[in-house]
Amino acid sequence: MTDIQLIEECRGGNFNNFRKLVTSTSPFAYSVAYRMLGDEDQAKDVVQETMVTIWQKLNKIKSAEVYKTWIYRIVVNKCYDQMRKRKRNPEFVADEKTWEIIAGKFSEGPSATLENGETSKIIGVLTDKLSPRQKAVFVLSDLEGMSNDEISEITGISKSAVKANLYYARKSISEKIGKYL
Amino acid sequence: MKNQSEKYETIISLLRKSKPVLDSTDEIERVVLKRIKIVHRSGLYLSELVDLLFGWVYIGWVRRSLIAASAALVLVFVYQQGVILKRIDVLSKQTVIIDKEKTTTPDTEIEKLLMTYKNAGRKFPFNTVTLSERQMDELLESIKELQIKYKDLEDLIEGDPELKKLIEQKLIESNRNKINL
Repeated sequence: MTDIQLIEECRGGNFNNFRKLVTSTSPFAYSVAYRMLGDEDQAKDVVQETMVTIWQKLNKIKSAEVYKTWIYRIVVNKCYDQMRKRKRNPEFVADEKTWEIIAGKFSEGPSATLENGETSKIIGVLTDKLSPRQKAVFVLSDLEGMSNDEISEITGISKSAVKANLYYARKSISEKIGKYL
Repeated sequence: MKNQSEKYETIISLLRKSKPVLDSTDEIERVVLKRIKIVHRSGLYLSELVDLLFGWVYIGWVRRSLIAASAALVLVFVYQQGVILKRIDVLSKQTVIIDKEKTTTPDTEIEKLLMTYKNAGRKFPFNTVTLSERQMDELLESIKELQIKYKDLEDLIEGDPELKKLIEQKLIESNRNKINL
């Protein structure tokens, strides 16, 4: 059963089919949330909140494309909320060890892989000077592989703004890489 | 610059490849379903209560009767308001007697006219009263008569000291009562 068929079933209050929807949706929602927040627990909270919101707004979902855009949009907005809370209590501190991990993986070549913890540290260190919007655009474009049109729909900003934010994010990250590696 | 760009691409492709993995969706499913069931149940209780209290308005003939009764009440109210306003208008044009006074029944026409003028107070300004010559003669005649009678009364009282004393006492008492009042 496709997602849209599951959604149709769920509108009638079918919890079992909604469980299936959660199973199919959670992984990619988690991927975006984790890359944006760098924390496993916070990322899971965002996924839970997203699914509860989806349940409440099932009637508004008319197609599979709309559904996917909705998921990403809700995840990104919930991540913004978390980032705003975090600004009041900054947790992440970039350290030299992270750059050592990056340098190590870099020298491993194409076969290198990263664990969740390493991914979060590297993304954190590369993007710590970016605004939430720049980070969202960078994650959706360069890490999740989305087009500028899709990112514009998800974030609600114009395509030119997407390009500008992406340019700045890439420039900032490249300069850091150039400085430390 | 090319070197920096290559480093950027290498790190980004490494990050892209290393998608964050959600170890298990069970916990997320459990929490989400628990939350949506609570919301769903409380929503059900509320809608059941509303149905119990107000469900009868959905019965066709009950609804029509209520609408007709409401319309009738509104019409009655509007009519009553009209009656009240008309009554207020009529009353405001009438003379209002607010003074209590012992008077004899006026005999002549001029006396009736003057009494009306006196009782009407400000509502009957002097310059609107029109007196004919005959009425003026009558008025002067009655003033003369009054003066003669008053003179007779005065002589009578002066001639009888005991009577004078009694009248003075009565006047004092009457003044005292007035003050007490």
